[in-house]
Amino acid sequence: MSARRIVVTSGKGGVGKTTTTANVGAALAQLGKRVVLVDADIGLRNLDLVLGVEKRIVFDLVEVVEGRCQLRQALIKDKRLDNLAILPAAQTRDKTAISELQMTEVVVQLGELCDYVIIDCPAGIEHGFRNAIAGATEAIVVTTAEVSAIRDADRVIGKLQERGLPLRLIVNRIRPEMVRSGDMLSVEDVTDILSAELLGIIPDDAEIIDTTNRGEPIVLMPEARLATIYTKIARRLEGELVPFTSLNAPGFFERFFGMAG
Amino acid sequence: MLHDVLPTEQTAAAAVPQARGRAIVVTSGKGGVGKTTTTANVGAALAAGGATVVLVDADVGLRNLDIVMGLEARVRHHVLDVLEGGATLDEALVTDKRVPRLKLLAAAQAREKDDVDTDAFHALIDSLRERFDFVLIDCPAGIEMGFTNAIVAADEAIVVCTPEVSAVRDADRVVGLLGERRTVQLIVNRLRPDLVRKGKMLSVDDVNAILRLPLLGVVADAPDVIVATNRGEPVALDADSPAGAAYRAIAQRITGALTSAPEIPRERTFFGKLFGSRS
Repeated sequence: MSARRIVVTSGKGGVGKTTTTANVGAALAQLGKRVVLVDADIGLRNLDLVLGVEKRIVFDLVEVVEGRCQLRQALIKDKRLDNLAILPAAQTRDKTAISELQMTEVVVQLGELCDYVIIDCPAGIEHGFRNAIAGATEAIVVTTAEVSAIRDADRVIGKLQERGLPLRLIVNRIRPEMVRSGDMLSVEDVTDILSAELLGIIPDDAEIIDTTNRGEPIVLMPEARLATIYTKIARRLEGELVPFTSLNAPGFFERFFGMAG
Repeated sequence: MLHDVLPTEQTAAAAVPQARGRAIVVTSGKGGVGKTTTTANVGAALAAGGATVVLVDADVGLRNLDIVMGLEARVRHHVLDVLEGGATLDEALVTDKRVPRLKLLAAAQAREKDDVDTDAFHALIDSLRERFDFVLIDCPAGIEMGFTNAIVAADEAIVVCTPEVSAVRDADRVVGLLGERRTVQLIVNRLRPDLVRKGKMLSVDDVNAILRLPLLGVVADAPDVIVATNRGEPVALDADSPAGAAYRAIAQRITGALTSAPEIPRERTFFGKLFGSRS
């Protein structure tokens, strides 16, 4: 049986692609799935930092493509989760170092080794984007509830649909108090504009900045609010029907107006 | 008096020492750190201070500067129209609603970055420098073709970085690519003093221990920036906004009107909160 190959993309940068890739991947691994994460952001790699494996990189994606090492040699196994591994991007090369066909070959080959290949796409819609989506069979589009992020997501969804890639949406960094005061679009507004199926809603949470800086996926901290949310997303990917529940955040209004999942 | 016969825009130009306008690219490597917001606000603050300014959106295919400026409904032509002869520069320039000295040249939305000819884009920026005191170029995320085009004609760069390890790493890479020829200055964006104090966020010093760049300004994280961006109203024009004040100070440092070191935003103290002062 071949693996599911999911690209995590957004158009706009800085909306949480890499954090989503790391945490959804780690959550799937916690559920017992074998997961390989691929950093497709050649030249501006960050997935290694977010997973805290930056000092353990020996080979990278470009070296695999160029035949300088075996695919398995380039994979870095996570020390905390047995069935999680990462294929890092090259840092000192650029995105034209590999072609769409080469990327597809690597991703398909990885698919023989695991249940999920999750590809962290670079920002933008240039060569790096085309490479990242080339080998994918489905997509997760990450957006925030900001007008500019939604516009970019819309453009990316158009490109994914041209390819016939099925996609689902994660709305990231929702601030319930701002939604309530009318200063932020609601999740319903976002899904209406993009007319895409919802995979997850992630509230804005300062804790993620710290865990990301420290290279520790937040799903490894069971007491963290966001850990539960990423796990729910992983279960939805697994086909479970997990309802979007109210946010149990402190604060009367957040309980009423906030949703998460 | 010579000043009396010159139109206002040229009088403003006389306040700036350069005979030719300055081309400044706003870049970062990592996306979502605030390039477009910085471009809009620094541009608005420079224009509000009397300079003539054109903002150029170099993010072909994923433009957003028009939205952040609240001018999306007024865009009729874009950079590629001008480069390909489909419109004149004057037809493509959109005048800001609030500060008429401020203009926008929008990016093409339905095109690709590879469609932009690097030499032609360089020539376009040069011709804008003949007409404006400042040409601010909003660079796309990443270091692909869009980046190459955005930086080609700029002598100066503003690198925007948030206090996050990944943003610092990407900024460091971009500084290397900008090369020795350009003057590069740093804006640290979205600083949260409370998180820095708790040791949960890098400080400005931490960031600059790696980047080692002249510091142009520090902007604190503030919900009013998100709100203003969604509404298309630059906070730089809001006299009550602390972020707005930070952008105005950045503009003054760019023109040379302000020479003091940038203020690092601090937490509001208990008394500050009680009495409403921003300490």
